Amino acid sequence: MDNSDSELELYTIPSTSRWFVWDEIHETERIAFKEFFDGNSISRTPKIYKEYRDFIINKYREEPSRRLTFTEVRKSLVGDVTFLHKAFLFLEKWGLINYGTPSSLDAEKEEEEEEQCKVRLEEGAPNGIRVAATPNSLKPMSVPHNTKSGGNVGGASLKLPPLASYSDVYGDLIRQKELNCGLCGDKCGSEHYQTQDNFIICTNCFKSGNYGEKWTAEDFVLSESSENSVKHDAVWTEGETLLLLESVLKHGDDWELVAQSVQTKNKLDCISKLIELPFGELMLGPAHRIISSNSANGIPNTNKQVQSSSSDNQETSKTKDQASELTNESQQNGDAMNETPSKRQCVATLSDSSSSLMNQVGLISTVVDPHITAAAADAAVSALCDENLCPREIFDVEDDYASHMNSLNSCYSARALEGEGLEVERSSVSDIDDRCPKVGIPLTLRVRAATATALGAAAARAKLLADQEDREIEHLVATIIEAQIEKLQHKVKHFDDLELLMEKEHDEIENLKDSILTERLDVLRRTFRSGITRWKDYSYVKS
Amino acid sequence: MKTPISGLYKNPVKFRMPTAENLVPIRLDIEIEGQRYKDAFTWNPSDPDSEVVVFAKRTVKDLKLPPAFVTQIAQSIQSQLVEFRSYEGQDMYAGEKIVPIKLDLRVNHTLVKDQFLWDLNNFESDPEEFAKIFCKDMDIEDPEVGPAIAFAIREQLYEIAIQSVVSARESRMSKKGRRGAEYTPISKGGAVAVDLVKLFGPKSSVVRKRKEWDVYEPIVDLLSNEEVDALEAKEERNFR
Repeated sequence: MDNSDSELELYTIPSTSRWFVWDEIHETERIAFKEFFDGNSISRTPKIYKEYRDFIINKYREEPSRRLTFTEVRKSLVGDVTFLHKAFLFLEKWGLINYGTPSSLDAEKEEEEEEQCKVRLEEGAPNGIRVAATPNSLKPMSVPHNTKSGGNVGGASLKLPPLASYSDVYGDLIRQKELNCGLCGDKCGSEHYQTQDNFIICTNCFKSGNYGEKWTAEDFVLSESSENSVKHDAVWTEGETLLLLESVLKHGDDWELVAQSVQTKNKLDCISKLIELPFGELMLGPAHRIISSNSANGIPNTNKQVQSSSSDNQETSKTKDQASELTNESQQNGDAMNETPSKRQCVATLSDSSSSLMNQVGLISTVVDPHITAAAADAAVSALCDENLCPREIFDVEDDYASHMNSLNSCYSARALEGEGLEVERSSVSDIDDRCPKVGIPLTLRVRAATATALGAAAARAKLLADQEDREIEHLVATIIEAQIEKLQHKVKHFDDLELLMEKEHDEIENLKDSILTERLDVLRRTFRSGITRWKDYSYVKS
Repeated sequence: MKTPISGLYKNPVKFRMPTAENLVPIRLDIEIEGQRYKDAFTWNPSDPDSEVVVFAKRTVKDLKLPPAFVTQIAQSIQSQLVEFRSYEGQDMYAGEKIVPIKLDLRVNHTLVKDQFLWDLNNFESDPEEFAKIFCKDMDIEDPEVGPAIAFAIREQLYEIAIQSVVSARESRMSKKGRRGAEYTPISKGGAVAVDLVKLFGPKSSVVRKRKEWDVYEPIVDLLSNEEVDALEAKEERNFR
């Protein structure tokens, strides 16, 4: 068989058959054809297997695009047809022959496999299909429905998570759209007439005087259809928006409660409004609620505002009186900015974020010593002063701010030390809020200063923790070294003991030697005395 | 069913069909009052014998044969089963044994000629599966051809198995008579078995020479109606 030229050609075999080598028989083959490798048979030897294999593969590769059949192969090979078929199937299974040559057999196999796959898929739990109302789902289930159905089932102790059906999710939408005339059955247009018992007729029927049997024209009230009413409701007043935001903060994504507190709007409106709001996504993510709203909305805005105010203030002189004017001006600037709608929302979040930021600062500050907080605050203020001129004036003018911060920090950290906990801190933070406006420093600056203070405090805390960790490590290393030394000492002591034992043994052996020597001398002496001849004596000694 | 392979070549095998499934080929050829019924099928000898009569009745009913056939069919099957069972429990052969199987049969319009080797120790062998692949590879559409081929293989294997039992008995007898005086080669167990050493020995290749390929190539012919009629007439004459 000539394999040399086939090596030069390129054949595609599946990657799973990489084991195949012309010159060797792989373990896979050995396992598949055990009877060829136990050496018990004349007609089944590794050599014969290899000849079968090589012939079949070569035969296929003479014309790789054509499908090789078993019947074609067996006429050229001597051997048990059952086994030949087994080998043929093996090679086909591994793609060494008939790889990529589709045939009716292959198609059938594929179909079978596909069917098996389908079955397998069905066996697996189709998790994607299950729609359960999880706490985070946008549309929570209406709770009364569940409790009712649960009660009807009758004391089933196992409470399954409610399944959201189509009508649960889209029920509101469907109801609003399907308003048909109670008389003619047509769909009501943009308007319809409604009685107090919710009987609805379309405008056509109303105009033509067709009121039905029970009602008169006075019973009907003109009401706009759902589409219009939705549009109408979608106009949000500022008060409503504020109410929505507050209730979202309070109730999270429990839209039933949110809608209840907004009152004038329904659930859907609340959700869509909140999504429309630029920061709505941030509010929804509960984990990010505080931090990201601070970092994403609070800080950049403070920068903008500070810069704008400072640029405004560059021209003005630096006297005390004018500084107070400056604050007024900046407040006016703030008012002016409030008039543009997008900024207004940002300011709303800013005040919100600043208060929560104060909470954070208060929390962080309490974890370190008061004087560290004070130093951090000082550093923060001075850094802010370096950044631009305006704050310096403000801080210079109201230079008791830093000390005020310090005193505050120290006071509430002291309280925290007394163990009164979070509520006290909050009250002290609200103290800050209350007092700071009196001081008259712009909110933005306060926020920045507080942020810097918090960062400083956190850094200090980290330093402290690192130091503590260092000490801990040192201590542990010292312990380890001590233990090692103790171990060594024990070993030395043990060796000493061993040496002592050895010495004793040595002494004993020496003694034994001596006694044996004397004994021998004694024996010799006695033999001499008894007068044994010399040659006998010699042989005795020798032996 | 499956014996460990390593032990196969040493120990004699008890009589059975040398295939995966122990199915006995049964051939029926019964003529009553000018009506002739010919059939061939396999029977599982471990089925209860009461099934035979049930089968016979059913066949007669399905083929609308005269009721006289029932007993004839049942008797024929029964006697063939008895013959098969008479060999059971006896030693068949020891050692390797590969036999040539020759096919030469006509099913309706299809003529099949083929020959190949069959290992009697390979109890994974499956004539029905072999026939199925044969028909698929040779594009034989007639659904009756496959079973006919399988049956032909089984019939030959059955024949060889019976021969083996007989010769194994004889060799045992001769060994008893002249203790160890004469060495009887294993391959002599059946007259038809191929010479393993010659075919599979270290000097020979299991790949046939190209000129031999035609000899072992299966031949499938589709006959015309006239040819079939002529052949059937000839067979009829031979039967008489």
